[in-house]
Amino acid sequence: MLKVNNIQTYYGNIQALKGITLDIGEGEIITLIGANGAGKTTTLMSICGVVPPKQGEIFFRGTPIHNMTTEKIVALGICQVPEGRHIFPGLTVKENLEMGAYLRTDHHGIKTDLEYVLDLFPILAQRRHQQGGTLSGGEQQMLAISRALMAKPRLLLLDEPSLGLAPLIIQQIFEIIRKINSEQKTTIFLVEQNANLALKVAHRGYVMENGTITLADSAANLLDNEDVKKAYLGL
Amino acid sequence: MHIFEEIKKSTITAVWFVFLTFPIMVIRVNTIHKTIEWRWDNMIMVAVGSFALSFVWRYFMEHRQAPKPEAMGRGVPWIQNARQAIKHPVFFYSAIALLTVFAVIFPFIFSRYQVNIMTTALIYVMLGLGLNIVVGLAGLLDLGYVAFYAVGAYSYALLHLHYGLNFWICLPLGAGLAALFGIILGFPVLRLRGDYLAIVTLGFGEIIRLVLENWNEFSKGPSGIAEIPRPPIPGVELSLSESSVFLYFLVIILTLFTVFVVNRLRNSRIGRAWIALREDEIACQAMGVNKTATKLTAFALGATWAGMAGVIFAAKTTFINPASFTFLESAIILSIVVLGGMGSIVGVIASALILILLPEYLRAFSEYRMLLFGAVLVIMMVFRPQGLVSTVRQTYQFKGLKKDKEVG
Repeated sequence: MLKVNNIQTYYGNIQALKGITLDIGEGEIITLIGANGAGKTTTLMSICGVVPPKQGEIFFRGTPIHNMTTEKIVALGICQVPEGRHIFPGLTVKENLEMGAYLRTDHHGIKTDLEYVLDLFPILAQRRHQQGGTLSGGEQQMLAISRALMAKPRLLLLDEPSLGLAPLIIQQIFEIIRKINSEQKTTIFLVEQNANLALKVAHRGYVMENGTITLADSAANLLDNEDVKKAYLGL
Repeated sequence: MHIFEEIKKSTITAVWFVFLTFPIMVIRVNTIHKTIEWRWDNMIMVAVGSFALSFVWRYFMEHRQAPKPEAMGRGVPWIQNARQAIKHPVFFYSAIALLTVFAVIFPFIFSRYQVNIMTTALIYVMLGLGLNIVVGLAGLLDLGYVAFYAVGAYSYALLHLHYGLNFWICLPLGAGLAALFGIILGFPVLRLRGDYLAIVTLGFGEIIRLVLENWNEFSKGPSGIAEIPRPPIPGVELSLSESSVFLYFLVIILTLFTVFVVNRLRNSRIGRAWIALREDEIACQAMGVNKTATKLTAFALGATWAGMAGVIFAAKTTFINPASFTFLESAIILSIVVLGGMGSIVGVIASALILILLPEYLRAFSEYRMLLFGAVLVIMMVFRPQGLVSTVRQTYQFKGLKKDKEVG
């Protein structure tokens, strides 16, 4: 579904990605794990076109997207949940969700999806007239995911959904991620620091270090891999 | 004990004010008789006055901090009743009708002076609503808004001077040119936000003014352009007072048009994109909002109203020069938006009328009027920092959504 072919991305003169190759199949949950500064978020930003790659190619369902602007990429069905949530603090929960459906014009579909996400996260239904900024961290993350779902993405990019959340909430969010994948058939690309949890949810995983991919395997194999255990699982 | 504390603080304030105002309020040097007058009675007045003011101020500050019963006075019966009464359609429509009647008969019952200042105030309503798009909705702090006002005014003046174009052709032309300048300003500042954006827009405003001031061949420099005709009605000869009445009605119509368009814009797709852009740029990009186009339309549409207001201003005063387009104008328009409540249309209208009419009616207080004006502004910002009318955004109800019934 998404093919990333040897992309190299720079911030000014600093090279953040030194040739990343990824392959994401339809309906999969793929995780990208790695330490701070390995280039995980940059990989996402390059896919979305926020920081376009200098070299290399990205194909989404056969369409080259490495030269497209962000809004065109979003229109193709790639939606990102940015790191650190980035909800609209001054808009109500409902308005936040409506902004998720910004590019859509099918009113009936939007209504169905709104019902779906409010079913997924009942707490948001209770809080839907509250301003986004007044929600707790976990609720904000739920809102960010729901907002991305409102765009009805084919590929959902999640950037550190566990950032700064309590373990119980993280569990809940990962449950939901699995549920979205199985119910909506949404392909999910999950960037995580919490390698243990991410690998348990994902089908396959990539390990990243210093702007390159060092390992690629099924999630189960990565969980058993001695190097991964030592470096990321703390075992 | 508490009261004693308050009295102590107010006394300190009073002493401090006496000290501060001593040189100007008490001492007067009589240069003719070469004597010094000591006006001790003034000192007593300052002391008593500042003590009383400080006491009242403290009282209100205390009440402001105290937890409000049922936030925003919902618990107080008469406020609640008043709120409901205002929402009631009978009241609402009769208020609208009354306002309309008042607006229509206004020029016939009041003097020409009153009509003129009302016209000016309405021009500022248009300017405020235009800037409201840029600052209030899109959250782009624009300190050089007056530049677009100048573009509008000068495009009418110059097009008339060189090509003899009349007011009615210049009105849309001026608006269009201002929009073009909005885009010209927009491009370089696309990546800027907050303070940096404010500085660049401030610079842009000054550039336009300085160009007009110094490029004599083009704009006639500081001496300005005179004999700009008032808006004509084809085939009808208007006297001076008829002309100002006509201009008054024209401005009323344009203001209504502005209100209508801005209201529609705010609740439109692009309006929602503006508000979202104000809230969070990264999230906007993730949602597929075209940042470039959204920002440029905000600048262009905001500038359009300034351009239109500029053409009317030129036609009203019949003389323009760069001195009318200083930074102070930008600051006044910005205070209209901030005072009225960012993003609120009713608020902007109310604050434009207050800010422009108040200094006129305060002329009775002659040299103290600006002092009073400043005091009103400060008091407003302390007690209602969110502006006169805090924004109530249109919320959309999805009918038949089952959660609506369950959770209420």
